[in-house]
Amino acid sequence: MNKAEWEQVQSIFHDALERPREEREAFLEQSACGQKDVLEQVRAMLDEEERGNSLIEEDLSGLAGKLIDAGAGSTFTSRQFGPYRTIRFLGEGGMGVVYLAEREDVGSQVAIKVLRDAWLSPARRDRFLSEQRMLAQLNYSSIAHLYDANVLPDGTPWFAMEYVEGIPLTNYCEEHRCTLTRRVQLFRMVCDAVQYAHQQAVIHRDLKSSNILVKDDGSIRLLDFGIGKQLDTFDMSARQTVTALRMMTPAYASPEQIRGEPASVQMDVYSLGVLLFELLTLELPFELKNLTPNEALTVLVEHDAPKPSSVVARKHDLGESSWMRASKQRWAELDVLCLTAMHKDPARRYRSVEALIRDVDHFLREEPLDVRGDSFVYRTSTFVRRNRRGVILAAAVTLFAAVLIGFSTYRITKARDAALAEAARTERLQTFLMNLFEGGDAQTGPSDQLRVVSLVDKGIQEANALSATPKVQAELYQTLGSIEEKLGKLDKAEDLLQSALRLRTHIFGSESEEAAETLEALSHLRLDQARYDDAEKLARQAIDIDTRQLPPAHPARARAISLLGMVLEDRGKYDEAIQALQQAVNLQSGPGGVESDLSSSLTELANSHFYAGHLEISNELNQRVLAIDHEVYGNSHPQVADDLINLGAVQFEWSHYKQAEDYDRQALAIEQHFYGNDNPETASAMTILSRTLLAEDKTSEALPMLRQALVIEEHVYGKVHPRVATTLNDLGHAALRVGDLKEAEEDFQRMADICRTVYHGKHYYIGIALANLSSVYMREKRYEKAEHALKEALRMYAVTLPPNHQNVGIAKVRLGRVLLRQKHYAQARVQSSAGLSILQTQANPMAEWLENARADLKSENAALGTNQGTAAQLSTLAHTENTAGSNN
Amino acid sequence: MELENSVTLARPGEAPDSTLRQRQALDALYSASYEELRRIASAVRRSDPGATASATTLVNEAWMKLARSPDFICESAIHFKRIAARAMRQLLVEAARRKHAEKRGGDYLFITFDESVGQQMERASELLALDAALEQLAALNARQAMVVECRFFAGMEVAEIVQELQISEATVLRDWRAARAWLGAQIRKQENERLR
Repeated sequence: MNKAEWEQVQSIFHDALERPREEREAFLEQSACGQKDVLEQVRAMLDEEERGNSLIEEDLSGLAGKLIDAGAGSTFTSRQFGPYRTIRFLGEGGMGVVYLAEREDVGSQVAIKVLRDAWLSPARRDRFLSEQRMLAQLNYSSIAHLYDANVLPDGTPWFAMEYVEGIPLTNYCEEHRCTLTRRVQLFRMVCDAVQYAHQQAVIHRDLKSSNILVKDDGSIRLLDFGIGKQLDTFDMSARQTVTALRMMTPAYASPEQIRGEPASVQMDVYSLGVLLFELLTLELPFELKNLTPNEALTVLVEHDAPKPSSVVARKHDLGESSWMRASKQRWAELDVLCLTAMHKDPARRYRSVEALIRDVDHFLREEPLDVRGDSFVYRTSTFVRRNRRGVILAAAVTLFAAVLIGFSTYRITKARDAALAEAARTERLQTFLMNLFEGGDAQTGPSDQLRVVSLVDKGIQEANALSATPKVQAELYQTLGSIEEKLGKLDKAEDLLQSALRLRTHIFGSESEEAAETLEALSHLRLDQARYDDAEKLARQAIDIDTRQLPPAHPARARAISLLGMVLEDRGKYDEAIQALQQAVNLQSGPGGVESDLSSSLTELANSHFYAGHLEISNELNQRVLAIDHEVYGNSHPQVADDLINLGAVQFEWSHYKQAEDYDRQALAIEQHFYGNDNPETASAMTILSRTLLAEDKTSEALPMLRQALVIEEHVYGKVHPRVATTLNDLGHAALRVGDLKEAEEDFQRMADICRTVYHGKHYYIGIALANLSSVYMREKRYEKAEHALKEALRMYAVTLPPNHQNVGIAKVRLGRVLLRQKHYAQARVQSSAGLSILQTQANPMAEWLENARADLKSENAALGTNQGTAAQLSTLAHTENTAGSNN
Repeated sequence: MELENSVTLARPGEAPDSTLRQRQALDALYSASYEELRRIASAVRRSDPGATASATTLVNEAWMKLARSPDFICESAIHFKRIAARAMRQLLVEAARRKHAEKRGGDYLFITFDESVGQQMERASELLALDAALEQLAALNARQAMVVECRFFAGMEVAEIVQELQISEATVLRDWRAARAWLGAQIRKQENERLR
């Protein structure tokens, strides 16, 4: 038949249909004009039209039902796959059929997965092979292993994998009536497996309870990487990362996965959240039954999941799952954990499975969660609650926690908030800050400190890379600068804080609150560097800015005033310091005041009164601080230990050594309990107790304690560090006391060397070391050496201390004595007299040195005999000497 | 709901080459149609009363899923359906061929068929006959073959076919009627010869 004939056939066919049936045959004969072929075609068509039961009338679905195979489950024939022979049908998924098979030579059982209808399209074959590749790559105990893979003669690919005899996770939990903790532990195992896959750049994308089996031994196996995604860095065109295979179970799919966005680890985080929800509540977060596919998708993308606790509460009412009871607080934490994992907005979800695992661990260890870490109040309260319950954190807390609990806590929290908010994508940064905040893993003590130091160094590198987000960078520089300062790395601190100041001045202006904050930090650093003029100037600058920019009672302004008080205290301007600190205390006691700030200002106020000789007031203030800190931190917190040490110091000054020893011992016990024995904070409490013990002549206990403290500090801070220097000073005194001159000399010498290095040759500590060294030389009767050391000490004091500072007075008295021993009476008398006049101006002159000065002066006058001058002349000489000294 | 394991798309393209993209889109379409057919087929066999979906719903659902994919570029739903119709036809024909081959003792695709009964085989050969006849029809009048594909394999409405093929409704109805009768006759003839 040709086209023309076909046109003719149709034409006759349609015309015939117009006519009554009985007229059709005649019409056909007439129309066909003897074309037999045409006639036959039209007749057949008319027959067909009458009958109307041809294939083409049938519905396609019926046809499909008959032609397309249903599945391999209904009948089973054993087949050979390489060395394996199938034993029975296990199940089928979208892609293929799974059989249980046995390896004939060994008898071991495997699961064989075969791609069904491999001929259909390259896409399906690719996907099947990709699952095979991923399994080959994943070698982890809780992920089913790949054993073998090949292709059948007809091109159908198959692979053999570990046969897992187990039951789906949720069924397991129900059957075993698992407790809440057990469920969370199982969940953590799943997270581990997923995290491992992520480390291999494999995203599962189809996590659900039926894909996770629990074996008899309680271990889990993650199955079905059928729609997993290999994130290949060489293959990462934008289009390729798009989740085209929207095949996963919708109930577990994240909104962005449903929207078809690029595959990411956070899709798995979401699915894990849903899985946790299911484990906790035995329900899925969204009821999708009776919804059309489009309605269901809308629900999944737009609706928020209920809190697991509320779902469970409903079940409790129905008397179900009573074995899953837990406190309200625990459930509240699970709510946060679960709903953070399945947050609709990926930016507010856990950034990685690793972050999720951290919080799961926090939950299991009853520690505060990271996700609420952005609320300082929450963290503090959980922290305190835990300590009040007497649960000690020895395992989790490092020295770093101490740094954080103190002054930096506020700042780091703030820094992290800002960092999280503004650089949510910078996961490395977040991890870094998290680690910083957490302090570390299981080990406590010195080794962790070292780790923290390197962590901070790493943090600096991270910060340097953040030039695209200067605000965050500045925040981080500021934080790291303060941490480096705490760690005694003053030069690094200087660089970091200067960078922070530059950035903030550039971004916010020199008159900004932010710039003021950095000025404060710099001022604090200047104190450590003993650059008091600068420290005071910077603190005052900060206050001026805050006064212009902020309401008078703003916490930032109060903090700046408190800082100025501290600077003035360190400068020895106690009256002014007291004034400033009192002002800060008044502001911080008012509404909106920060309790921990108040506690810190009160401590400094107490210290200022202490140095000003107002021991009663100091004592009262310290008692007040102790009461506040008891309230805020509980009884066994390091903050409380600090207060006890200050109370001990007052008792020490009152020569109530027994009481001082009591306080010091309590403080030491707290630090030991909190940090363990090998921690530098513990070491610090040891040195303080040792001083009291030395005063009580309990050298046999004090010396080993000091040595232990030194070992810890050297290990933690390294051999060249201010803390090491201070302990060497105490040790030197103790050695001197027991007459071990060799050790004493070594200790003071080392102290001087350390201070020269750390403070670039300029700090009154160097003077103290030299002055103490001179005591050793005196005992050894090496007067020239002693004289040399003291003169150097005085030169150092002249540039680092006010001319009438007690230390200057003492050094002069000492120098006078050295000169006296060398029979340089005139020179000696000048020094003794000058020293005495300085000591006499002190609020609490040290009696020992006053007496020494007076006795020496007597000897000198006696030796000088007729040349003995009047008191007035001496006074003038002393004045000249002291003025000259200060001008050095 | 039945979204699970229902849509397969091609792997997104490595190259911007338009032929390749087209091929991949087609691949995606085939896979999607296949999954849909499978789903329908198994539902039909389970005698699920709600599942006797017509070709219309079948293709509509495949379209909805594929249309959301950024990898599937398609000007309109109707155009898609026309392509889908072709895909469905080829899938069914392929399945029928295999069923046929299996009956003849062919060793391939043993996994696929396990309940071979008479009616199935009959439908398989009928479908193959339809396919062959449709080829003949395309040679005689391509437009009419397209109308059949659209209507039979994709369940398209007359109005949709009018729009897609740019012909009048009367033409569509006439084409359909003639083609249906002719194809039916051809199949019957084929079957009679086969059974003789």
